[in-house]
Amino acid sequence: MKNIEFNDKSAQKIYDSYFRRIRRTIAVLAKSDREDVLMEFNSHIYEGLQNEEEGAEVEKLLKITQGLGDPEEVLKPLVAEKKLQQATRTFNPMHIFQAIFLNIKSGIVYSVFAILYICLFGFGILMFLKFTNPDSTGLFLKNGEFVALGSLKTSDPAVTEVLGNWFVPVMFFSALVLYIIITLILKLTRKKKEE
Amino acid sequence: MNSEFVQKWQSQVKKGTLAFILLNILKDNEFYGYELMEQVRKFTTIEIAEGTLYPLMNRLKKEGLVTSKWVEQESGIPRKYYQLTETGVATLLEMRVYWQNLETSIQKLLK
Repeated sequence: MKNIEFNDKSAQKIYDSYFRRIRRTIAVLAKSDREDVLMEFNSHIYEGLQNEEEGAEVEKLLKITQGLGDPEEVLKPLVAEKKLQQATRTFNPMHIFQAIFLNIKSGIVYSVFAILYICLFGFGILMFLKFTNPDSTGLFLKNGEFVALGSLKTSDPAVTEVLGNWFVPVMFFSALVLYIIITLILKLTRKKKEE
Repeated sequence: MNSEFVQKWQSQVKKGTLAFILLNILKDNEFYGYELMEQVRKFTTIEIAEGTLYPLMNRLKKEGLVTSKWVEQESGIPRKYYQLTETGVATLLEMRVYWQNLETSIQKLLK
């Protein structure tokens, strides 16, 4: 992006700070999307400066940036939308995670995704805990009935951990399956929305 | 008068009609962002944070109603021109029919 150059130092500062705010707001997006947003806002400001006849550089610039609004506010829907587009194109867990949380406001569906995703991370954490606290981590049953999946400290001799060395592979497999399910449902809901 | 209620209602109406207004403006001409905003100001009294125009245009693009292209300028700062697609034109015509029906019904009510 070609930056606009100002003669007035304060105007330059205002411009730089406004673009810093935009950059921060769109930091999670793909590079090409970021560049597009920056160029579009830059063009808007540039054209605005050419069209504003009266006033000093600072006044003109302030009028334009105030007209545009706070980047954090006005760009929110764009960031959420673009992130979702990106997330459904890839299987990258970071993009999916960000997309779900950015879209959580737009409906209960995404809250469900968020819960599933937290489960997914939970499985990951449990695998780690199994290595650090092997005795108190696992799937615990008492007389054949489910007691807990996770980390448990109990003195009840009837409560036994049943998976043993299979715990980590089972957790890994569950996480994998859950992950594929989340991504597929996410893709499906996206398609439905687009129809 | 409950002015808070009126204000909320107005902002809902504005939000709900902005896409319709933009599509109408783009019907016969292509415009770049700043110009598009000026057209909105010229034809309506809608006051919106102009920055919200861009997320909305992005949505219209995703829906296949508009396309955009960057056009280099002598200044070195290119403009992004927006144009209606065929789907966009057809969609707009359908929206116009709905709008006219709505207007007729409301006019009847207002008499």
